[in-house]
Amino acid sequence: MTGELSGRAAIAGLGITEMGKVYGRSAAEFAVEAVTLAAADAGLDLADIDGLLINPGVGGDIGLPLHTALGLRELRLLTEMQGFGSSADGMVQYAALAVHAGMADVVVCVYADAPLREDRGAGATYTGAGRRATGVDALPAAAGLRSAPAKYALAARRHMERYGTTSEQLGAVALAARQWAALNDRAQMKDRPLTLEDHQSSRMVADPLRLYDCCLVSNGGIAVVVTSAERARALRRPPVYVLGWGQGHPGYPMSRGSTFGLVTGAAISGPAALKMAGLTLADVDVREIYDCFTYTTLVTLEDYGFCAKGEGGEFVASGAIAPGGSHPTNTGGGQLSSYYMWGMTPLSEGVIQARGDGGVRQAPKADVVLVSGNGGVLDHHATLLLSPHAAT
Amino acid sequence: MAPLPISRDERSAAFFDAAAQGTLLLRWSPATGAYLPPTAHIDPSAPLSPLEWRPVAGTGEIVTWTVLPPGGDVVALVELAEGPWLTVAVRGVAPTALHEGYQVRIGFERPEGGEAVPVALPR
Repeated sequence: MTGELSGRAAIAGLGITEMGKVYGRSAAEFAVEAVTLAAADAGLDLADIDGLLINPGVGGDIGLPLHTALGLRELRLLTEMQGFGSSADGMVQYAALAVHAGMADVVVCVYADAPLREDRGAGATYTGAGRRATGVDALPAAAGLRSAPAKYALAARRHMERYGTTSEQLGAVALAARQWAALNDRAQMKDRPLTLEDHQSSRMVADPLRLYDCCLVSNGGIAVVVTSAERARALRRPPVYVLGWGQGHPGYPMSRGSTFGLVTGAAISGPAALKMAGLTLADVDVREIYDCFTYTTLVTLEDYGFCAKGEGGEFVASGAIAPGGSHPTNTGGGQLSSYYMWGMTPLSEGVIQARGDGGVRQAPKADVVLVSGNGGVLDHHATLLLSPHAAT
Repeated sequence: MAPLPISRDERSAAFFDAAAQGTLLLRWSPATGAYLPPTAHIDPSAPLSPLEWRPVAGTGEIVTWTVLPPGGDVVALVELAEGPWLTVAVRGVAPTALHEGYQVRIGFERPEGGEAVPVALPR
């Protein structure tokens, strides 16, 4: 049975700024441009916006003042939202609820970030440097666990130990992403082919994760417009209906029995989204999965059930997720090879695919697109099921 | 690489006092008898019952680990015999020898200017 709210809201606009090594602009400037582009894409004036959801990232460079920067007056809904990498999908969910509840008619969800600077490398971003080490909460940092790659390396190594997943199989995820990126003009790595030898010889960032197991760092901003299905049908672009959604926050205990590294929140959010949409996994044509690391794609595919638990390595190495494969995944190149905009990376490509705007990389069938966000160290998960067709 | 110097706060004072003496403390729930990680605020099975600190033997096994360049430092999640996990630096073990279930015992290091912190040593 389909959930009451399935297909009642739609994404009517998408705004993507210039992306990647774009210097000299602040996150706030990117955010303003992304919102402006999203409204224009929908055929709306900024004055039509009456709700704004802002994901401030971890830098805190954008936030509530964004509405005055945009000149938005008398908003009926405004807040910052935080679910780390699951924020984008979460914001669309709350926007859909707000529209249904009548709190607002046109809600824009936005994320922007500008961590890259001309005078320093990408590795100098997101280090968490400067945080003070105090008390027992600081024991992991004191032990040397201070970077996102190191934390995800613990998760990846556990999966490898338990299921026999290999570095070459992680490499297959990187290669598939790079092959998709070659078809995407927006991808930072469009013209940078990658071989398995390149992957295997790339420097170790945090064993078992090599350089090409890690996502990019990007400056830019992305926004989407969420409104009712009825209103979306009257706007400029074809609606992308939100058929189903779910969230999953495992709350891994730091003790015996924890499934950290083995099972993610997608095992909760995926079935919830499918149930709401009245769909099964076999109905999903395209997957846009948060890929901060190659391992993240692999374990998330298992948790949605696209392959059995522990068989993600063989699944990705079979070519299933690459262009021409049976399970097109991260069709824009993902965070590994296109651009890193937290959950807006998979969400933006999901909208592009559901609209049929993918050009040479358009998946053969995109009636149901699964969009997946992941935040923290596998701590937060959110799922959207998008479609060019209204729920029936 | 020496551990990052860490300073105490009110909540962690007992933990670091014991660590300076070479003793590992965990949180313990009198209501259920369960041991909990040092970071625990409550026992979710008995949320209104205050926790105590209890010394433990400090034996455990590796759950997972990472090796960090440039020095090859090893950081691991260790599952203690009592159940809780600790995130610790591993000393005296070649990374190639590590595997899930590798047996370790907890020792302590005291970096200059900081409190004593637990590390994992081969058992």
